[in-house]
Amino acid sequence: MALVDISTLAPEQRHDHAAAVGSPIIDARHVAVKFKVESGMVDAVKDVSFQLYRGETIAVVGESGSGKSVTARTVMGLLTKRATVSDRSSIAYDGKNVLKFSDRQRRALRGNRISMIFQEPMSSLNPVYTIGAQIIEAIRVHQKMSRSQAMERTLELLRQVQIPDPEARINQYPHQLSGGQRQRIMIAMALANSPDVLIADEPTTALDVTVQAQILNLIRDLQKTLGMAVILITHDLTVVRQFSDYVYVMQNGEVKEHNTTTTLFQNPQHPYTRHLLNSEPKGMANPMPVDSASILEGRNVRVSFMLKAGGFFKPQLKELVAVDSLSIKLHRHETLGLVGESGSGKTTFGQALVKLLRADGGEILFDGQSIENKTRDEMRPLRSRMQVVFQDPFSSLNPRMSVGQIIEEGLIVNKLGATRNERLERVREALNSAGLPNNILSRFPHEFSGGQRQRIAIARAVALEPEFILLDEPTSALDLSVQAQIIELLRKLQDEKGLSYLFISHDLKVVRALCHRVVVMQHGKIVEEGPVEDVLTHPKTAYTERLVRAAFEVAA
Amino acid sequence: MKADVQTAVIVPVPPASHGNETYLALVWRRLRHSWTGMAGLILVCLLMLMTVFAEFFSPVDPKLTGVAFAPPQTISITDQEGSLVWPRTYQVGEGTELDPVTFQPMVGPDYANPLDLGFFVKGFKYRLFGLIPTDRHFFGATNGTPVNFLGTDKFGRDVLSRIFYGSRVSLMIALTVVFIITVVGTTVGMVSGYFGGRFDAWMQRFVELVLAFPQLPLYLALTSLIPVTAPTNVFLAFVIFVMSALGWAQMSREVRGKTLALARIDYVRAAMAIGATDRRIIFQHIFPNVMSHVIVAVTLAIPNVVLLESFLGFLGFAVKPPLMSWGLMLQDTSTYSVIGSYPWILSPVAFVLITVFAFNALGDGLRDAVDPY
Repeated sequence: MALVDISTLAPEQRHDHAAAVGSPIIDARHVAVKFKVESGMVDAVKDVSFQLYRGETIAVVGESGSGKSVTARTVMGLLTKRATVSDRSSIAYDGKNVLKFSDRQRRALRGNRISMIFQEPMSSLNPVYTIGAQIIEAIRVHQKMSRSQAMERTLELLRQVQIPDPEARINQYPHQLSGGQRQRIMIAMALANSPDVLIADEPTTALDVTVQAQILNLIRDLQKTLGMAVILITHDLTVVRQFSDYVYVMQNGEVKEHNTTTTLFQNPQHPYTRHLLNSEPKGMANPMPVDSASILEGRNVRVSFMLKAGGFFKPQLKELVAVDSLSIKLHRHETLGLVGESGSGKTTFGQALVKLLRADGGEILFDGQSIENKTRDEMRPLRSRMQVVFQDPFSSLNPRMSVGQIIEEGLIVNKLGATRNERLERVREALNSAGLPNNILSRFPHEFSGGQRQRIAIARAVALEPEFILLDEPTSALDLSVQAQIIELLRKLQDEKGLSYLFISHDLKVVRALCHRVVVMQHGKIVEEGPVEDVLTHPKTAYTERLVRAAFEVAA
Repeated sequence: MKADVQTAVIVPVPPASHGNETYLALVWRRLRHSWTGMAGLILVCLLMLMTVFAEFFSPVDPKLTGVAFAPPQTISITDQEGSLVWPRTYQVGEGTELDPVTFQPMVGPDYANPLDLGFFVKGFKYRLFGLIPTDRHFFGATNGTPVNFLGTDKFGRDVLSRIFYGSRVSLMIALTVVFIITVVGTTVGMVSGYFGGRFDAWMQRFVELVLAFPQLPLYLALTSLIPVTAPTNVFLAFVIFVMSALGWAQMSREVRGKTLALARIDYVRAAMAIGATDRRIIFQHIFPNVMSHVIVAVTLAIPNVVLLESFLGFLGFAVKPPLMSWGLMLQDTSTYSVIGSYPWILSPVAFVLITVFAFNALGDGLRDAVDPY
């Protein structure tokens, strides 16, 4: 491959500007944004130039902290007071530099000509107003319209975003809608004044995989019918490939490379772009020994929660069955994937199997011992043999304890290692096997990135030399390239130490890369199970098929 | 990327530049950036200095009686002719003329005998920290004559000096009460929040009962309960006991709420997963994380007790003489005519205000510094 000068990959002008018709609707040049923090100034965005033409979708891709959201907020004029935009920056909307606009002019632009939808639809909607009231407000702020006209327009919008039965929905409150419906409401609000530009900042990250495809398709359809230009901010390359015309790749506040989607995916030039494209989880779990014994077995495990129902005068308890008589068998050296959408009961099931939650019925066998009736004290001798890694590495490490203390705690509790030095030696070994340097014992979790923190959490589990680890979505909170590293690490640890994993995830891509067998759950029941390749290539149920399609070809 | 390549890879971690910062260092760094927080901290430090070195700062012996209700002596840097002189003050004395309305002897500055003022002057004798005998004072007349910068009370005692001395009892009450309610409130809150269940349910009903209790009538009823002949320190202990008995409930609520949230967080679950005992979880995981909130709650509770003490003092439920406290001093202000004629005896109010502001500002600053994560 010919060597390419990487500094020429991201010129100010688009590579396809010769072919473009008309002038760009948004033309941003040399946007730079600084943030004031305690220790001085941080360059969130260093030098970003991009152009957006009418009727197209550009994607801004990058990992967390790359400055993509800050760029979008700069366009919207939604930066916090701590931010300063450099004097060199210019963002032209229809030829006029919006950075020179007064607050009033910007407000007139925002929500009217340029709209934005955010990642978390629950926190973007006001919980005390009906969705109708909120959309009507969005319309009447910018347009002179009577209340009844605005109501008409709202119904029309709700129909456009395909909310079923809009006449009834208009009087509902945000909590009465599902996550996907809320995001549709957000889109309806963004479209209320027929904007020229829609900025979608990770619009589907907080949603279930199967809903993700619907929302993205909706945005694309609306874009076609309304002729909007869309800026799609995302970290998901599958989404980019299917929904955008032109891609900007950002890292550390700079555009590293940009090109048309087809060219970029066929021929990525910049090492970072290649790294991103390469970090899709791939590979497969290494084959397990043939006749391995069972380590963890659940038979007809049932977990239910009592919900309060009825009023104060007629108190009743309603039973919610989260895990409905499920049986599962995990062999030594095996990774079993537990897959399902949020609310399918997979985490509850996992926690019940390691006795972090009480099961109401069924049997749980760990290494041949029945553990379902053991108390916390009786479980203690088994704890070092079964470990858990949680989803969010930001809440699973105690912020007041140093890395050394965090990992050592398990050793102290389980009386492993006779002296402190012996324990610290094991802590260092654990850090090394989790791919971390062993000189970080006295440092605190907040000094580390998400991926590194997840490694610390893995080191905590591994230090006890367990035989089985429950992995509860350990990669979901991480960036794609970090995710790939963690998967590599887990695979490596399994081979070295002969670990068994129960891997809970909603992401079938990761499951394929890590698991031997997979169990698909829906509404507290197992709908399908089998070897990973079989289930993914020949799903037997419609639900599994939907999950598979959502994971591997978003636009399904 | 091959697995064998990965085995050797150790991920780079950020250098420990201001790395090994402890949590305290982080909090301090953030607090330094808060203007009000720092102002509060400085004021609190000054108040503490004032309390510890009350004798040194007091210009006059607080028990010395002189002219009753003498107005504050003003500091002038000019003499009668208007020419610039060393800062001086004129002693207030009773003249021979009578007031045409009240027929009291006229009280006014004695211009004939100016008193030069200075720092580190000699005055009444005292023992620093109760040990070192000395007679140096921060500020006063150079020849040792008592100067009443904030006037005198009904017995002719120096108001400013009594404020300095009174701050001891007032702040001592506040700190003791807050200490007790913190210990009780935190323990009850953490146990209640962590174990939950029936104990929590009943404990919370009890807390609600304490919170719902009409406090003022109770305080007033209790004043009549103690015999008038009771010794002063018994009375003081009683005041502290009553304030603590009604104050811990709020603290336990806050701690319980925080504990409830913490008990469900992943690192507590992770600790359960490694087999940690309840004791270990409470002391290693919950307590340190609750502590930051408790510290904030403490700084916000202190001004409340100071206010309560002065308020109850005004109503007559305060420590008994010869102890001095701000509340007790304010007891004298309960007659309207007295305030009208001698407004300077209200000056403890200014110190109560400053104390309340100082601790509140510090508490707010601390809250922002403690909680950004």
